[in-house]
Amino acid sequence: MSFLSRRALLAKTGYGLGAAALHSLLGAAPKAFPNFAPRAKRVIFLFQAGGPSHLDLLDYKPQMKSRFDEDIPPSIFGTQRITGMVAHQDRFPVVPTMYGFKQHGQCGQWLSDRLPETGKIADEICVLRAMHTEAINHDPAITFIQTGSQLPGRPSMGSWIDYGLGSENENLPAFVVLNSLPGNGMPDQGLLARLWGAGFLPSRYQGVQFRGGGDAVLHLSNPPGITREQRRSQLDGLAALNKRLHGQMGDPEIETRIAQYEMAFRMQASVPELVDTSGEPAHIHELYGEDSKKPGTFAANCLLARRLAERNVRFIQLYHRGWDHHGGLTEKLPSLARDVDRASAALVQDLKQRGMLDDTLVIWGGEFGRTPYAQGPSKADSYGRDHHGRVFSLWMAGGGVKRGFSYGASDDYGFNVAEGGVHVHDLQATILFLLGIDHQKLTYLFQGRQFRLTDVAGRVVKEILS
Amino acid sequence: MRGQFWFGLIAAAVCAGAEERRPDYGRDVRPILAENCFHCHGQDGKKRMAGLRLDVPGAALAKVSERISTKNAAMRMPPASSNRSLTDGQIATLKRWIEQGGQYAKHWAFVPPVRPAGDGIDFFVRQRLAAEGLKSNPPAAPGVWLRRVSLDLTGLPPAPAEIDTFVVDAKARGEAAYRDAVRRLLASPRYGERMAMDWLDVARYADTHGFNNDSARSMWRWRDWVIQAFNDNMPYNRFITEQLAGDLLPNPTLDQRIATGFGRNHVINSEGGIIEEEYRVEYVADRVRTLGMAWLGMTVECAKCHDHKYDPVTQRDHYRFYAFFNNLPELGEDGRVANAVPMIPAPTAEEQRKLAALDMAIAERAAKTEPKDLAAILVDAGTPISIDNPVPVAKHDPVSFSFRLQPEPENADVALYSSIDYGRNMAATTYGRGIELRLTGGEIEFRFADRLPAYSIRVVTDGAAIRPERMRHVAVVYEGAAGHPDAMRAQAAWVRMYVDGRELPTRVLNDDLAMPDAKSDKPSKMKLKPGEYKGRVAEPVFWTKALTAAEVRSVAGLRMVDIELEELRAQRLALARNVATVMVMQEREGKPRETHVLLRGQYNMPGEAVEPGVPEELLGAWPAGAPKNRLGLAKWLTKPDHPLTARVVVNRFWQQLFGQGLVKTSDNFGLQGEFPSHPELLDWLAREFIDSGWSVKGLLEKMVLSATYRQDAGGTKEAFARDPENRLLARGPRFRLPAEVIRDQSLQFAGLLKNQAGGPSVFPYQTKDLYKGIVVAADYPGTKWVESKGEGLYRRSLYTFWKRTVPHPTMTVFDAPDREFCIVRRSTTNTPLQALTLLNDPTFVEAARKLAERAVREGGASPEARLAFAFRVATGRPPDAAESRTLLDTFAQMRTRYLADEGAAQTLLAVGASPVVASIAPAELAAYAAVVNVILNMDEVITK
Repeated sequence: MSFLSRRALLAKTGYGLGAAALHSLLGAAPKAFPNFAPRAKRVIFLFQAGGPSHLDLLDYKPQMKSRFDEDIPPSIFGTQRITGMVAHQDRFPVVPTMYGFKQHGQCGQWLSDRLPETGKIADEICVLRAMHTEAINHDPAITFIQTGSQLPGRPSMGSWIDYGLGSENENLPAFVVLNSLPGNGMPDQGLLARLWGAGFLPSRYQGVQFRGGGDAVLHLSNPPGITREQRRSQLDGLAALNKRLHGQMGDPEIETRIAQYEMAFRMQASVPELVDTSGEPAHIHELYGEDSKKPGTFAANCLLARRLAERNVRFIQLYHRGWDHHGGLTEKLPSLARDVDRASAALVQDLKQRGMLDDTLVIWGGEFGRTPYAQGPSKADSYGRDHHGRVFSLWMAGGGVKRGFSYGASDDYGFNVAEGGVHVHDLQATILFLLGIDHQKLTYLFQGRQFRLTDVAGRVVKEILS
Repeated sequence: MRGQFWFGLIAAAVCAGAEERRPDYGRDVRPILAENCFHCHGQDGKKRMAGLRLDVPGAALAKVSERISTKNAAMRMPPASSNRSLTDGQIATLKRWIEQGGQYAKHWAFVPPVRPAGDGIDFFVRQRLAAEGLKSNPPAAPGVWLRRVSLDLTGLPPAPAEIDTFVVDAKARGEAAYRDAVRRLLASPRYGERMAMDWLDVARYADTHGFNNDSARSMWRWRDWVIQAFNDNMPYNRFITEQLAGDLLPNPTLDQRIATGFGRNHVINSEGGIIEEEYRVEYVADRVRTLGMAWLGMTVECAKCHDHKYDPVTQRDHYRFYAFFNNLPELGEDGRVANAVPMIPAPTAEEQRKLAALDMAIAERAAKTEPKDLAAILVDAGTPISIDNPVPVAKHDPVSFSFRLQPEPENADVALYSSIDYGRNMAATTYGRGIELRLTGGEIEFRFADRLPAYSIRVVTDGAAIRPERMRHVAVVYEGAAGHPDAMRAQAAWVRMYVDGRELPTRVLNDDLAMPDAKSDKPSKMKLKPGEYKGRVAEPVFWTKALTAAEVRSVAGLRMVDIELEELRAQRLALARNVATVMVMQEREGKPRETHVLLRGQYNMPGEAVEPGVPEELLGAWPAGAPKNRLGLAKWLTKPDHPLTARVVVNRFWQQLFGQGLVKTSDNFGLQGEFPSHPELLDWLAREFIDSGWSVKGLLEKMVLSATYRQDAGGTKEAFARDPENRLLARGPRFRLPAEVIRDQSLQFAGLLKNQAGGPSVFPYQTKDLYKGIVVAADYPGTKWVESKGEGLYRRSLYTFWKRTVPHPTMTVFDAPDREFCIVRRSTTNTPLQALTLLNDPTFVEAARKLAERAVREGGASPEARLAFAFRVATGRPPDAAESRTLLDTFAQMRTRYLADEGAAQTLLAVGASPVVASIAPAELAAYAAVVNVILNMDEVITK
């Protein structure tokens, strides 16, 4: 019997959830996965929520420069689904980026001057410049990239991976989520717990949110007035009572519960130790930036991500909000870039200097890009852009991906895929592949159908594999 | 092998082994074919390979037999590329079936249930056990049974005194005592709340709209309808009918219209800039999905984009179901800050009583009215409205305006005063922004919009009857936010409309207008709209304040007034203005919306047009004479010979009591679903249910009084190994309690639970900054958790405000779903986060303190007696000697610690809003609380 069938059995029958939970939490990898040698052992997804503008950050379009305020030609515009936010506009005038681009590293990667620190890791990253998605609004687009479906109800990527691979740390969950708000105080669009939810998978596979303030994990701390020693003797008493019950009833679920209380007790020590970065040397804080000392910032979360990676947490999901720049992009984008540029680059450098970049996959990007045409009144140095899913950019580093590389290209307007298109399902298939998972084999039987993260699509982008 | 495996497990472990038996198509063969073959050789013509169908008779089966067992890997079926494979056992089963003639049979669930030979739950269970060579467990002790049945039927445990009484009664009266206990529980108002809990999952009930903005909605009147329906033991066929089509019943009552909220509980998207039709289509599809899951036990929605891969449901079938739900006057983008249309005012029983009393008083007074000539009130003259002097209207600020008008006959629906430019693109997010007063069918309509139609207040008078015959006086008052400092939206209830000096009742067409902060609240300039209205207008005036009723009378020149009558009318209007609304289903006026098959399920790719209808060949004929609408659909679903409805429903009630259905896949009775563990029992229950007049209480009574349910839940290691899931029912049910029950019983133990039924949802403890970093930045209702004060902290959990995108963690950690979609079965997991919650969440820490307090006051004098008291409250039984020792040892350690550090004791006792009892020494109380904290975490306490 393959493990998958045992998994399917466990999931279907509900039997031995205890055993399965232990399995998941205590880590032995299931036999069916990985399907082949993994290149990456873990993933850190630096998600930029709201839709960062590819045109102002990662996708250099010198051809647009001379075309300010020209209409996007119909041949380019095609059958673009326009959102209600620009539906009243009479025209869709080109607005080129106001930022300078230059080449970085030996590979000559073109990057915006808003990302100077990312320039320093140009030879480590692989930029995908022809990502595309079907959704044109936040909720469906972000749900799509995280769950493979535009509608709610499916498990998130981290849950799928936890379900397939399990944890390698007996003191921490396999799937951890860290959220941060932008420094400019304008977070705009909300997040949704379903983005780290388990969907129809058993709920133990849901991501555990580590929070910036208070308890890192909800209800992690003992109530005031109960010390760790007291808690130990409480749990000893509890274990004695539960063991006695198990002796009478024989239900294996009781044994599992006893084990879960012990795991909880260990988490109470391991999590605070993990989130306490005060022992990090000064040069590390300097690398990530001053914000890395402020809990709950993107920089602090990047540093935590490295610490989680060191502890073999499988899927580390960061969200940074505030990229939804319909209007005033030119005021907001620089501050968002400042929030994330240094820490993102620092994370890659830090992983590298620890020899962990080879087996850690870092991904940086959002749910879609932004339109080459202006939303609302525009000047050459003051404009906004609407949502754009037909092409956008994203970068990856480490974990078996080519270094100093770029793949795919948009057309002269940064509007459509010109070559090397990577659909959201392709990205998901590729991430699973790097973890040693055949995306067609990671399935779960729900309501009579074998579901998978990539639905009925997905192509591994072999061109970017190192 | 995976699809078939569960059966292999039980069959192989429990009987002599499936391999030895004559294969039954439905039980043994079809699941193998469905899992491994139908994908390419099933009913989906587009996917079919080699022209071969295996889902219906006719294939050359000898050839199949060869292909599944050939050693030639290239020839072998299923091919390796399919990621599917057959086990040796499955190959043997298929080959034997083919050798024995390859007989097909209609899928069992599509054949109407027939009353089997034999009677009673225990008969069928024992028959199966005997065949397996197993015996039932002995009955559980009476007190254990009482705890189990109380938790199952009311979601609350019995108090020790109730157990004592019952044990004595059971000894004296035997069966009669059991029956009476069940009837008492079924008669408790708590019963309806417990039953509603599961139905709220199925019906995807929540207090927010979901999606990005996830702002608040008001559907609690529907939730309370569900509770009442269960408490009244509404026949289940009516329960279905009223929720699907209450509005289409003859002369529907308010309750029947509220019931149709079932079809509106789906998520609704208010994200700016979405394409309306894309989402409206999703809402209709969600109703089909929910109908399929809730009552057909079928994944009908799988046929949204293509013919169903496994079940004989075509894409056309899907859109014929869809057509029943495709004619609502609803919008794709709606619900930004309040309910989405269509909605109705839904006064509570109490409010209905008050309204009726006022109506009577008004009628009485009107019959003997005594108008008096009132002295005019001095009202300042206001500012004349002109082109140069439009009315400035901001959402925060009060404003009143009045004018006289006498229309020409041709004013069917025209703008009078307006700041709205309708010349813009209707798809734009700013379409229709502004304020307007219209004359429409002789009524006055007030519009105040960010975007029409969804984001607006629209209020229309009811009974103005403004006709060409005479000049009338109109006054409109918008109160503004002055009296409502915390309002997060501008509200229809702030609008008053007067004709000839008298306030008129109004209908609210839309009530969904977000409130900006005062800084960005720019007034909209409303002026006479030229061109549309034809007729006379005189004396247009406005005031930057809200005129009172008396002031309006003066302005209108209404002098002869019966003040008492006017006050009664004003009271009624005020009451009606503030009743909660509920979203409902209703049919659009005029020609029904056409339904098309949507190619690949895409909203913008209509294919063939279809009429409402059901797969009659598969699931039974349409009832003669039934209308082709939702009411007819309900009649079809509740036909006594419908193959699925009753089976699906009784199976779900069985699941509620036994932890899993007789059909384990309670969400799927189709070809991919599991074969029932006790097919005859399922059919017997379905027939009993129908023949009893669909009585839910009757059904549950049979189940909980059965010997099967009453068994002891324990077992040997071998017993658990042999039948880990208890599919054969040789043991009583034992599984962890649902999230809601875990919290509710803790509150009950503590004496904190407030048993008040119904009403708006409440906000108990939730970690303060939980929403930080997650919820949308805009300050919509539902984006802040403002903790309830007093009783709201201690209501049953089904009344906790349910925010879809961030549901309450104490619920989700114990496997409650997010309610974005219909769910008929929760998973039951066992995780360290559950341990952390039960140990440290203030809800449970406070409950431990309050139960400790009870133990000290009510439990006796010695620590031993007090701890035994708390233990018994929580488990329903006294501790034995070993348990007592454990409790006492732990107590001694806690006590030593708190005697040494009274400050620590006090901080522990300070958790929670309930006051700390001063009469008990803090160190003592804290020590007891710490031990009760342990007790509340016992597996036995959170398991039924």
